[in-house]
This record gives sequence, C-alpha cells and structure tokens, in this order.
Amino acid sequence: MGTIKDRYAIVGVGESERSRKSGTTPLHLALDAAHAAIKDAGLKPTDIDGFMNYNEGDSCTSHQLATYLGVRPKYVKDIQGGGASTEMLIADAVALIEAGQLNTVLIYRSMNGSSGTRVGRGYDPDMLQGALSGGSFVIPYGSASPSQWFGMYATRHMHETGITKEHLGHVCLSFYEHAQRNPKAFLHGKPLTMENYLATPDISSPFNIHDSCLELDEGNAIIVTSAEKAKDCTSKPVYIMGMAARQCHPHAHYWNDIDQVASDYVAEELYENAGVTPDDIDVASIYDCFSWVVMRQLEAYGFAKRGEVGDFVAEGNLKIGGKLPTNTAGGMLSEGYTHGMNNAIEIVRQLRHDYEGTDRQVEDCKIGICTGWAGPDIAGAMILRN
Amino acid sequence: MTQATTAYQKPIPLKDIDNAPYWDAADQHQLALQKCDDCHAYSQPPGPTCAKCGSGNVSWEQLGDDIKATVYSYVVSYRPFLPGFQDELPTIIALAQLDNVPEVKIMGNILNCQEKDLEIGMPIQMTWVDITEDRALLQWIPVTN
Ligand SMILES: [Zn+2]
Repeated sequence: MGTIKDRYAIVGVGESERSRKSGTTPLHLALDAAHAAIKDAGLKPTDIDGFMNYNEGDSCTSHQLATYLGVRPKYVKDIQGGGASTEMLIADAVALIEAGQLNTVLIYRSMNGSSGTRVGRGYDPDMLQGALSGGSFVIPYGSASPSQWFGMYATRHMHETGITKEHLGHVCLSFYEHAQRNPKAFLHGKPLTMENYLATPDISSPFNIHDSCLELDEGNAIIVTSAEKAKDCTSKPVYIMGMAARQCHPHAHYWNDIDQVASDYVAEELYENAGVTPDDIDVASIYDCFSWVVMRQLEAYGFAKRGEVGDFVAEGNLKIGGKLPTNTAGGMLSEGYTHGMNNAIEIVRQLRHDYEGTDRQVEDCKIGICTGWAGPDIAGAMILRN
Repeated sequence: MTQATTAYQKPIPLKDIDNAPYWDAADQHQLALQKCDDCHAYSQPPGPTCAKCGSGNVSWEQLGDDIKATVYSYVVSYRPFLPGFQDELPTIIALAQLDNVPEVKIMGNILNCQEKDLEIGMPIQMTWVDITEDRALLQWIPVTN
C-alpha cells in the first residue's frame, strides 16, 4: 500500500440522527447518511459507482441503498464485520479505484444498534458455541459479552503495566468532555466527573457503563475517490497517507497469548507506509468500544511507552489542547457507536478544519490517525492529512 | 457442590469432532489436551489441525485429575449474559495457567471464592461439577492449606 500515498482522498462524510429508538430501519438511516455525505462532497448520487457496507446481519444491503439513491452501481460489497472494517473497506475501495474498476466509492455502516440487536447484551449461547472458534470453552462459563472478553485482556494488561481504574476514568472523562462541545453527541449535556465515574458499579470488571460504548440507532457514510477526481468535489479533500490491517495469530478465543494484540503488528507497517512517526500526529481517533482498548492502542501505536500509558492519559493528553487530542467528538463512549465509522468521520472534519473558530477545533492540525479494533485479534488503521 | 434438583439452566458444552476427546475426558473427571506430534505445541482449545504450525498430526495427552494452576487473568461479571447465571452473581470467570504446562491456559469459573480474595497469581485447583447425568464441567477452586 506504500505506493498509494497521497493519491486517494476522503471527499465526503455524513451521518443520520442518533437515537435510542429511531422507529425506522437501517435502510432509512443509511439513506440519510449517504445523502449527507454526497451533499458534503458536492456530488450527485450517480457519481458513485461502488457501494460497500459492513454489518453483523443488522443492516440493509449496499444494493438496496444504491437502488433507493437511484443509482445503478458497477459494484456492491457487503461484508461481515465490526471494528476495523471502516479502514479495511477504504483499502478495498482504493484498490478497486487503482485497478481502474471504479471511480468513487461510498462506504457506510447503518444499524439499529439500540432498538435492534444490542451487542453488549451478549449473544445466543448455542449459536455462539457453534459459530465461535473454541466457543464451547467459553460459553459454558457465562462469558458471552464483549465486556467480559475484553475485560479478561484488560485485567492482565493492567496488572502488568500498573494501569488503574482511575486511569481508565481519565480516558472516559476526556471523551465525555469533548461530547459536551458537540451538540450532536448523544451524551451532550451529560458531563462526567471522576467522583461519579469511580462511584459507578462495574458491569464486567474492570468496566462500568462509562467504560463501554454507547449503542445507538445510527447510519454513517464516507466517500472515497482519487486525488484527481477529488478536484471535482466542493469539499476540501483529506488525503490518505497510509493504511495497514492485520489479523493476529492466534484467534482471540484461543486465549493463550492475551498479551499480544493485532494493533502491535499494524502500527509498524502503518507508519512505514505513511512515512511519518507518532510525533508527527496532531489529532487521533482511537477505536473505543471500551476505555481500556484506547490505552492498549496508545501503547501499540507508540504514543506512550508500555507502563507510562496511565500517566499519559492522566496528564490530559487526550483532551483538546493536550499532546494527542483524541476522539474529539466524544468517541464511541459518548458520541455514538457505529463500529468506528463515527470516529473516522470526525478525524476528516478535524483535518478539514470544519470547526475553525470554535473550541472544538484542534488548532493547526495537519496529520491524523484513525484506528480500528475488531477485537484483540483484528485491527486496521489509517493516517490522513489535509 | 449442591446437588442440582432442577434441570441445569446454563449452556452445556457442545461436543464436536474436534473437541469430543476433551469433553469426554471431562465427563470422566480427567483432563486431556491436544498436542501436535510435529511441533509439540499444545492446542487449547483443540482443533482440526495444530493452530501453531498447521500440521494434521495431532494426538491426545492424558494429564489425569490432579491439575494445579494459577490465575492468569480474570473478570468479575455482575450481569447475567447467558441463561442460568442470574442466580449466581457476581460470577468469577478466570483464565487458569497450568502449573505443569504453563503455555496452556484454560477458562473456568472460580467456585467458592470471594471477590476480595481474588488476585492474579493465586493458586487454584481443577475440579469437576456434574451438570447432567452423564456430563461434567471443568471448574476451579482456590487452593487452601
Ligand atoms: Zn504443530
């Protein structure tokens, strides 16, 4: 992917309303998001010739979305996927444009994540035992929620590195503070104090409700095209400097190597492709299905040394004005949760300086990182510039 | 353990062509582990081939019924995410690192353990709980002396 540097761009982003009970379908939400992204780019729906989507059986198809936009697309693709899929599908779109198959691709994630299937409530036990590698070694013990699976990794990592519950709280507080500046964040108007955070009982240790992402009904969309075609758009393009993705051996449910995560492997390739170092990054979107996941990635992507991540977040470095303003719209802990795409949208808006003149804008930011995490075993990330 | 008077509510481990020797051994209150004849790595959970090198030359090693371990990591779960756990909250779910085969970690609940006594590195001992007439589940209890 090294040869694609600066030759492709994100030219449009958009989202639907966020709610607990939308009373509508993922197709409606996807249409709202797609219309917003197409308008943002200054394009017509028929300028889009490829549509891609990731879902867990909880969305409309790309073909349906294209149909109701009045487009006869050249290409549609729907993959099974969660976190890190935003980055992986952007990489696929770039590859298809590079191969001359497509011109402009719209990638979306739409889900009734609150009124439909809620990941955080766990899954059907018999389905999981059959579908999950090693499922029968996990499910009979009552472990069926991502909060329990990630908690197992977190407890060990925190034990080894000295990260405390209060450190996790600093991650939450930083993102909740950003949500108070974002009127479209679901938890806008609901600030969080350390006292409240520490007084909130755990769901699955070490996580309480504030450490966990906010499952909502929401649709998000992103439009990718070539740097050449980006000139025809009315938006300010945000260029892709580098991308990387990796599946880690062994599968997360093998549980033997819970010290390693796929992000460790992605980071090296990502910086090499983009030709930058962690010091060059001005703004970040770090996948935050749980607060601890942010800590582990800060370590993996080289923003703080192992053992120093707790101090790094306690010093306020994730806040606007800190060393690495992160999840500046509130992130998935407090803005909304669409398996990472809302965080990708925010990094684009920051790099375009869409918030200029407000307290939401990271001053003079030029280079940003966006990371995805489907679990300890799957990660994807991209570095963008304006 | 209290004898169950009503039907077991929690999920029962599903036997399949890859894991049946493990659960068959558990039903006899024994531990069996899959091991690769080529690279000598253990596969836990077991699979169709070795997950370290891909070899199909795998066999089963019997480790008996006296299995000691330490807590490698754990989660204390305050909500039931599966049927049957609602009456036993909080549930302690732990990853046990085997003393004799430290590269192998096995998940289980730690029974007869207070949350305040739980810590990484604490010694635990494998036990088996009869959950139906012919099935048993591997579990863990703290080592006391
Ligand atoms: Zn092998």
